[in-house]
Amino acid sequence: MNELERKLKTEIERLFDEDIVDLVIAFKKADSPLRPQPAFYKNKAELDNLNYNSLCQNNLANYLTKYPHTTRIGVVVRGCESRSVNALVVEKQHPRENLYLIGIPCKGIVDIRKIINLTGEEVNDYTEIDDEISVRVNGNKVKLDRKDLLHDSCLRCVHPNPTNSDVTLGDLLPEGDPSIVRQAVESFEAMDRSERYAWFRHEAERCIRCYACREACPMCYCTECFVDHATPRWTESSVSPAGMQAWHIIRAFHQTGRCTSCGACERACPMDIKMTYLTDKLNENMITKYQFETGLDDKTQPPFASFNMDDKKRFIL
Amino acid sequence: MIYILEKKELDQTLTSWSENFDVFAPQKVEKYSQFVPFKSFSELTFENPHNTRFPPKALFLPQTEVLQKYRPNLNQLQEVVQTPKPRVIFGVRPCDAQAVTLLDTVFNTQENVDPYWKVKRDASIVIGMGCTNPCQTCFCTTVGYGPFNHDGLDALITEIDEKYFIEVLTEKGKSLFTHLPPATKDQELQVHSLQLEVKENMPIAFETKNLKQKLDKIFDNDYWQTISESCLGCGVCTFLCPTCFCFDIVDEVQRNERIRNWDTCMFRIYSQEASGHNPRPTRRERTRQRLMHKYSYWLDHIGKIGCTGCGRCVRYCPVGLDIRAMIRTASNVKSEVIND
Amino acid sequence: METRPKIVLFQCQWCLYSEPDQHWVDNELPASIHLLKLPCTGRINPLFILNAVQGGADGIMISGCLPEKCHYKEGNLSALRQNEEFQDFLDYIGYEKSRIRFVWLDLQDRGRIQRELSDFEDDINKLGKAKIMASRINLPLGGHDE
Repeated sequence: MNELERKLKTEIERLFDEDIVDLVIAFKKADSPLRPQPAFYKNKAELDNLNYNSLCQNNLANYLTKYPHTTRIGVVVRGCESRSVNALVVEKQHPRENLYLIGIPCKGIVDIRKIINLTGEEVNDYTEIDDEISVRVNGNKVKLDRKDLLHDSCLRCVHPNPTNSDVTLGDLLPEGDPSIVRQAVESFEAMDRSERYAWFRHEAERCIRCYACREACPMCYCTECFVDHATPRWTESSVSPAGMQAWHIIRAFHQTGRCTSCGACERACPMDIKMTYLTDKLNENMITKYQFETGLDDKTQPPFASFNMDDKKRFIL
Repeated sequence: MIYILEKKELDQTLTSWSENFDVFAPQKVEKYSQFVPFKSFSELTFENPHNTRFPPKALFLPQTEVLQKYRPNLNQLQEVVQTPKPRVIFGVRPCDAQAVTLLDTVFNTQENVDPYWKVKRDASIVIGMGCTNPCQTCFCTTVGYGPFNHDGLDALITEIDEKYFIEVLTEKGKSLFTHLPPATKDQELQVHSLQLEVKENMPIAFETKNLKQKLDKIFDNDYWQTISESCLGCGVCTFLCPTCFCFDIVDEVQRNERIRNWDTCMFRIYSQEASGHNPRPTRRERTRQRLMHKYSYWLDHIGKIGCTGCGRCVRYCPVGLDIRAMIRTASNVKSEVIND
Repeated sequence: METRPKIVLFQCQWCLYSEPDQHWVDNELPASIHLLKLPCTGRINPLFILNAVQGGADGIMISGCLPEKCHYKEGNLSALRQNEEFQDFLDYIGYEKSRIRFVWLDLQDRGRIQRELSDFEDDINKLGKAKIMASRINLPLGGHDE
């Protein structure tokens, strides 16, 4: 275990000793060194398999909505995850007093697909010591550079530090540059209209409607998703152009004012589909029009859940 | 009879087949490989030991298929069974081909023949590419099959030293290869011993003897709760699985078509009944269902395990769940029933 | 264009204050304009707009009441936020922003809806038929090649 994992273990043990939580959601070492799994600790006994490194690619806030409000849950959260938790608290999906957030400033998640593209698929081992990452491929050790491996959303991260956490393990990191996100959105908008649509189709039409993106997203917790509505049936469930486009457009749109750009959707997708370019645009609009950024605190309502009489000025008559 | 095709002549062979057949081969799409119509030799990806991401079952059971078209005002219904052009599906791994034969027991039996499946099956010649270099996530030998299995294939290719050694297995396959030079007795021995060696070197991931009985005994055990905690309940494992076949039939009234789509038991609404009752209400029941279906219920139906060990579910699960580990742990769970 | 552009009109049921206007919309609307009458513009779900766009609508007009005049108090304010954002989002993907138009009608407006529709049709004619996003086409038989 590295130093951070030891600190984390000590903190979790304390939470159980002092009866602060009923459950702690973290990551554990599992069957493959490349795939740590979400762990659900109910007591101190199994903490030896605790794991925390840059391969922990899931957004743990996703699991909060699976438990009743009375469960006291401790969660390990990084920057984007803590904002997702705040957004869930705003939407009353779990009371804040029954949450204990263990914050960890995040240097970014390593995308396993980028490792595989560089080294081939038969990777047997992964070690990470600070910024030094190495893998073992066919018995040979290969050193890799962290910045070549970070997931695309992490390359555009603005808030790596956890917000509103009860404890923070590790040193705070400098905030990212918001203009990187803006530039990415603007360069897409600079493309010709038909090119934008062509790119959108190119991505959306690889979709196999597995809904891994929906299930991985902490904000998609509807008991009945809009694609499951039969009467009336607004979107098709087939892999037809209309169905696939509608799925991507509307799922992104339902995240307006709620998405924290964590990128869990892209990491979950088995067909390598890009979708954060859609939510990034909506997030930018929320900042420009309503000065709203998701999850910076756990009280402010998102723009679509509220309205303001000042909006009167925007009605073009 | 084994024939030899020089690897450098593959391009020409595939191109010449394209004159009479639609040729499908695994080629690069984005950063992964997929079975698409053959375009160019440089795009072929079976050099890569990994399987295509999307299984070739889609060539027989498309993810979205129109079953009927209707014209509402005229009360006319048109069944549309489209017979495809004869086609060659090249480079299918034995696990995927085995999976297609398992699906035959669902869609193409004596009592029930699905016409949409059957026309595609009859029009296809399936050429397999044996796995001389199985990957870490492959476990075909564990479930009773192997990297050079013959089921479902019309011919099987083993690659040794820039040469493709082709074992013709059916009459259909024969028609494509008879013009090639045959292999010598020594070469045939070399091929067979390589196949045996590769098969025996594959590690066994879990014990399948009495697996069904063990799983049936722990049906109500709490073990299922623990593994379903991290499961997201998405459809990745089922859609990428070559043996999964569940489907949903919808009437798209805005397009006047009746369509069959893939469906997955991992979704809550899959088992939701019209009354509102759901026999699999939580993720625990649904994750359990997936494992039980493959390793217990398929055995009830046809006496064979419903998994061919392709490893896609292991590689692409968003939370890293590994079905091999889940089965190993399940086999070791002590059941609470006193009189075993 | 040879044929008139397909326009979908989402009309709030309260916004046409004059009887003749409502009568015109109910009975004399040109066949190329599809009417969807709603209790309030706040009922408009972006899915409705998307459904119209995918079905091949060349233009979408949303007509509602002025702010502070909404029969349900704030319906039109939430309609504005969501649907304006959706209009911008569709533009980001390629469907021209100007194909979706919001018209907010006043108590005193008479004959305005006819003028707005006619102006809108002229503007759509200049843009041409909506070629992109009209994707609800029939599926190829026998499944599609991956």
